[in-house]
Amino acid sequence: MIEIRDLHLDLGGRPVLRGISLDLTPGWTVLVGPNGAGKSTLLRAVAGLLSPQGGSLRLDGRPLQQWSAPERARRIAWMAQQSEAVSELGVRDVVMLGRLPHQGLFGSETAQDRHAVEAAMQATECLTHQHRRLGELSGGERQRVLLARALAVEAPIVLLDEPTTHLDPPHQVGLVRLMMNHAHDPVQPRTVVSVLHDLPLALAADRLVVMAAGTIQAVGSPHDPVVREALIDVFAGALRIENVGGRWVALPEITP
Amino acid sequence: MTAWIQRILVAGLLALSGLSAVQAAEPPKRIVSLLPSLTESVCALGACDRLIATDRWSNWPRSVQALPKVGGLDDAQVERIVALKPDLVLAAESSRAVERLRSLGLTVRTLEARSHGEVRDALQRLAAWLGRPDEAPRLWQHIEADLNAAAARVPAHWRGRTVYFEADDAPYAAGPTSFIGETLGRLGLRNVVSAALGPFPKLNPEFILRAQPDLVMARTRALSAMPRRPGWGRLEALRRRHICSFDEERYDPMVRPGPRMGEAALAVADCLSTLGTP
Amino acid sequence: MTTSSQIPPPGSVPRRLGWTLALVIGLAALAGLCAGPDGWSLGVLTGPDSDQALILHDIRLPRALGTALAGALFGLSGALAQGLFRNPLADPFLLGSASGASLGVVMVLAAPPLLGPAAAAGWLGELGLVGGAFVGALAGVSLTLLLSRGAEHSTRLLLAGVVVGVVLGAVNDLITLMAPDALRGRQAFGLGSTSFFGWTSVALLALSLSLTLPLAWRFARVLDALSLGEDSATSLGLDLPRLRAALVGILALATGAAVAQAGLIAFVGLVCPHLVRRFAHGAHGFVLLASAGMGAALLLVADLAARTLIAPQELPVGVLTAVLGGFYLLGLMHRRGVS
Repeated sequence: MIEIRDLHLDLGGRPVLRGISLDLTPGWTVLVGPNGAGKSTLLRAVAGLLSPQGGSLRLDGRPLQQWSAPERARRIAWMAQQSEAVSELGVRDVVMLGRLPHQGLFGSETAQDRHAVEAAMQATECLTHQHRRLGELSGGERQRVLLARALAVEAPIVLLDEPTTHLDPPHQVGLVRLMMNHAHDPVQPRTVVSVLHDLPLALAADRLVVMAAGTIQAVGSPHDPVVREALIDVFAGALRIENVGGRWVALPEITP
Repeated sequence: MTAWIQRILVAGLLALSGLSAVQAAEPPKRIVSLLPSLTESVCALGACDRLIATDRWSNWPRSVQALPKVGGLDDAQVERIVALKPDLVLAAESSRAVERLRSLGLTVRTLEARSHGEVRDALQRLAAWLGRPDEAPRLWQHIEADLNAAAARVPAHWRGRTVYFEADDAPYAAGPTSFIGETLGRLGLRNVVSAALGPFPKLNPEFILRAQPDLVMARTRALSAMPRRPGWGRLEALRRRHICSFDEERYDPMVRPGPRMGEAALAVADCLSTLGTP
Repeated sequence: MTTSSQIPPPGSVPRRLGWTLALVIGLAALAGLCAGPDGWSLGVLTGPDSDQALILHDIRLPRALGTALAGALFGLSGALAQGLFRNPLADPFLLGSASGASLGVVMVLAAPPLLGPAAAAGWLGELGLVGGAFVGALAGVSLTLLLSRGAEHSTRLLLAGVVVGVVLGAVNDLITLMAPDALRGRQAFGLGSTSFFGWTSVALLALSLSLTLPLAWRFARVLDALSLGEDSATSLGLDLPRLRAALVGILALATGAAVAQAGLIAFVGLVCPHLVRRFAHGAHGFVLLASAGMGAALLLVADLAARTLIAPQELPVGVLTAVLGGFYLLGLMHRRGVS
């Protein structure tokens, strides 16, 4: 469980997060908001990749800085928004990198590692590629491999920054189902936090965090009208949210 | 009985010491030279027949041109040198070849001379190694005689005049502390460059133009291109053809600190005597 | 989508590459033993007389071993540099090791004319050309690390390396200007040479390789993680600044040792990881080892060519590797451009 209290963070001298307070609990949470709202920055801060200028960030009760890097890495898995991977590595080797927090730099492969890697690749449907190189795959295939890498960590908290980029609709839906199953796992419910630009998908989440200009406008389930109002508000009325057959759907508001 | 043994012992010792003395005094008979000035020195000291190989740049006297060439100082052909089984290798200091050859068990001696005085010392040491210690003073006397003769041959109207000797066309001048600069000093010429600037200062061309040397000396190639340099047409020495140009063959002894320095001085003196009045 | 029958079973291609490299190294080394300034002679191996045995043992054998070891160090360094900076055009000389080594050599050469004969017998003279190059290489890299204030950002490291290279090069030029005698030695160092390897060289090179190769292998996983991106690697719990500094240290040691003995041989470090990847793929552990093997093979072949093409003269081996490497890169560019 992650507790964020009054978090302030500057990037390049500019304030990006202005007093964020939020609890991240098991379930699937989605951060939504316009560009520049600070969604990715918040995720990076939670992952321990950025140091805040003010406020507190606690993981399981302890401040994040007090956790050693490997300990933190075992509890929090993070997937980057832009794939910087320039990899000549094989797919299986990439996914196996997700086991680094458990193996340590000099550890060797255990059966548990192999099991985790298999499970992750199966969940993201990239078992068929496992002997190919990352560089040979298409954008969508590569995205799924990188996702598998994050899942292979088997961390209770999974942070995914725009995981649906490059994915075609069937795979997007598959991913959403994956995130939901992951979060609602009966044996070990996990905290899954994603940044999504795709609003129809986001509206399927357990919880929405509506952000704008570095602050949180609303937090709650998509069923909460306050949240829906806030969502329309931050997008300057460019969309309409309707209930279709029990599900919330976002439509572009084109008529003036 | 003991007196007998004593005499035998003494005789034996004497014989042994005599043997070792002979062995220690055995001068080298198979010499490899890796520096042209050392090749010339060996030949000038009368041991030319003992040379078995030289570096690729050694070209004087004519006879060494027929000898096998074993590379330069930095790409010496180690295997070939070892195969030739020399008992002495002559080289310059600070070359990796020296370390390598020494580690292979060869006798390597280094000599590097940068001034007249150092040439004299080098010749002395080389002569001692060659087992011809008397040759060095004799050779030096010969060189001195040539230097004096050259100084005498310099026409009176050229004595005390300023000279610019170009060592490279950047332009690098030969200063009075360089080897050739010393020779020119012996001939009674003044250098446009002061000793404080070092042996081969790289000059601003304006300096030379302002100094207006009475004489300009350089390689033939450089001198032919000199008037075309921007502003150099104003050099009086060039316009009046008060120049001494040396082709490749005659340039070598100018700049090689070796036994031909007297020859070089004579060449300069002869050039001066053809120049007419300043 | 390729079917499983088209994908070779994992592990077999790398193994094939390994055996091929071992074969090439063995053959090239053997050929090197037979090649002399007067041509080839198998008799050296089968029934040498005492002179030939001496030459074989004292000259050709250490030369072959030293060349293989130096090539391995260059190949390893190249793979390390390319993994560290995630740039396929990185070479081991990026962080100031080349300019530092060259400056060290020039300082040793310029000491006698500039500082007098006393300096030649002093500690600079004791160091010798090899020691000077080694110390210089390490000093160059240390200066780079100092300027970039640690290995926190690889871009800063690269920039610092460029600055150090330029500044040390300028100092080098200045010293050479004052002591033109050093110019010849400096040029020879820049061209690289494998002709002066004795048993001491072999020992030093072997020592360096035995230290750097296992260490690099152990740290190879850091390079794998780095290939995902710096943030992803950090999120996996890696202390990147310290690990990068350690890798830079290994790089400096390997490059310094190779350059001290063999001079600035171009392209071997740059080209080996590419050649390895052309034939086989794998994680960085494999690429590091295979690059070392490829480097050994490459340099042995280049040395052989340098010795035999214009025998009894020798081409500077650095010129050969530059020409061959240049052509290979051209081909690479052409293929990438076409596809």
